[in-house]
Amino acid sequence: MSPRRIGAIVVKDVRDAVRDGRILVLLLLPIGLAVFYNGTASDANERPETTVAIVDPARTGIADELRKASRRSVDLTTIAARDAAAARRTVDADDAAFAVVVQPAASGDAPARARILLPENATPTAQSVVALVDDAVAAAAGRPPSSQVSVERLAVAASDRKPTDIIDQATILVVICIVMLLGFVALVVVPMQVAEEIGSGTFGALRLAATGPEILAAKALSGLLYAAGGTALTLAITGIGAHSPLRLYGGALALAISLVGFGLLLGFVSGNPTQINTWGGFIVLPVIALGTAVLVVEDGIMAVVLDVLPFSQGTRLLFDGVSPQEPFATGLVAWLVLAAWSLAGFAALTRIASRRDA
Amino acid sequence: MSDHGGAVVEVHDLHKHYGATRALDGISFSAHAGEVFGLLGHNGAGKSTTIRVLTGRTRPTSGVARVLGEPVPEAMERVRGQINLVPESQTLYERATAKENLDLFCTLYDVPRARGDEALERVRLGHVAKRKVKTFSTGMKQRLLVARALLNAPAVLFMDEPTRGLDPQSARELHGLVEELSAGGTTIFLTTHDMHEADRLCDRVAFLAEGRIVALDTPRALKLQLAGPPEVDVVLKDGRGEHLRLGEDHDGEAARLVELVRAGQVRTLHSCEPTLADVFIALAGRSLDDDPQKHA
Repeated sequence: MSPRRIGAIVVKDVRDAVRDGRILVLLLLPIGLAVFYNGTASDANERPETTVAIVDPARTGIADELRKASRRSVDLTTIAARDAAAARRTVDADDAAFAVVVQPAASGDAPARARILLPENATPTAQSVVALVDDAVAAAAGRPPSSQVSVERLAVAASDRKPTDIIDQATILVVICIVMLLGFVALVVVPMQVAEEIGSGTFGALRLAATGPEILAAKALSGLLYAAGGTALTLAITGIGAHSPLRLYGGALALAISLVGFGLLLGFVSGNPTQINTWGGFIVLPVIALGTAVLVVEDGIMAVVLDVLPFSQGTRLLFDGVSPQEPFATGLVAWLVLAAWSLAGFAALTRIASRRDA
Repeated sequence: MSDHGGAVVEVHDLHKHYGATRALDGISFSAHAGEVFGLLGHNGAGKSTTIRVLTGRTRPTSGVARVLGEPVPEAMERVRGQINLVPESQTLYERATAKENLDLFCTLYDVPRARGDEALERVRLGHVAKRKVKTFSTGMKQRLLVARALLNAPAVLFMDEPTRGLDPQSARELHGLVEELSAGGTTIFLTTHDMHEADRLCDRVAFLAEGRIVALDTPRALKLQLAGPPEVDVVLKDGRGEHLRLGEDHDGEAARLVELVRAGQVRTLHSCEPTLADVFIALAGRSLDDDPQKHA
């Protein structure tokens, strides 16, 4: 393989993509949607809401202090609980995001004390309110700043780690748009470029000057460039940061690689870019649907199916990449699934290309 | 004509089957350095398949194909930089400019980009180098394909219907270019439907019919195969025409010709020789213009 020849074809492909209105739309549509959703969903969440269970046998007035402290950013609802056990049950039942148990001071000079019962999967809104408890307890006791607040982390079963509770709506929509972008690139844009080369005969002209594997490698690389560029641009515009760059950027790249072999195959077999463009939406629909399904499907046969599909594993990596709570706790299995699909795609492409060549 | 050296294109018992269809059914020939070798045949006769095999873009079912002494497609990497093709269809990047089209192939062939500028000037497209190819006429696109094929100064140039779509002036210029390249030692492997073009340009021609070579020789030798007694067409000054056979069995008609010439009645006199097209029809059973489907 000649890097010079591969590079020349990549440069040509990228330049051609910029000049092809159909491809530009396919690349810019998901990015535009991500920006739109990020803006509108953020507006919708401007006043996040949360509920706190409060145990305050001494009636210190902490509930009022907490509401006062958080009123600028959060609509806070408080539920009075009789004791710590009742508060815990309220939290476990998801009726409150966390609980504050105010403990009576040992003496008049002793610091006011409180215990926070905080689930592991507490939402960012709940955590922001937790940060205000210290001051609220002190204010309620009339003795700023001498207070002692301890936080007790409540273990949460894996099945209760709902990604939609952990990740805000805007981020979810942006990640889904990135999955859409990767699907469009690998399964529509790359096949269109290959099909156009075959349909117009330029593939044959390239074959005179470069080998078949070099041409296909260049097409795959072009696709990965669009995927990487589009993902980086989307994240930059929406301001969504990477908690785990490896999972976010690596996951996006791995998902693109796992699909691009099939995309090349589709273009190679079809040879008709217009047909691919027309049906592109239907081709990408399963990618988006199965990618999004990881947010709602928790068990059953569908969960098993999602475990072995590249779209869903790729999407899980992306969500874990943007969220500190890593809602899917993706590990080696996700990477292995994506690697297996990558190998399968390129193996199928090689087999079909060899047959066509013969 | 050029001095022919060793064989630079060799084909021996070449078969290419697509399922039950025998696109090539055991053809053998060779072309020498500097030779203009013509391959003539109907659509579907196997001309393009032969070129596809020789340019390493398809694998033969059996048989041997060598270009510049190297087996193709196995040793294509050693041959790649020394061959080129003017394809039958206009395989250009329409959204790119003429220069960008050539720059890409300059990089692929690892030759300086100045070579692209020279090639554009050679085919009279230098003034539109920065124009998008989609704005070009068919003839301009065909000339750009020729320019692209010259980038790597190929030792063997395959030309598949190179004058199709060209105006007479451009076709004549291309003929001049073919003769120039051939004189410079480039082997030209030409397929064409234009019998006059083949007659004028080719040192030797092969007639291909249904995957088989039915004749291979110089155009003159092929025409002589059909040549009978000499015949002439005479146009008289009064506008009438006469067709006269001058062979041994037609003494009277020879005497008539002498009489007309002596009487000063002859305006034009043309000898009637069989053309390459006549030879093709005689050997292949139909003209190149016939639709093979009608004969299926």
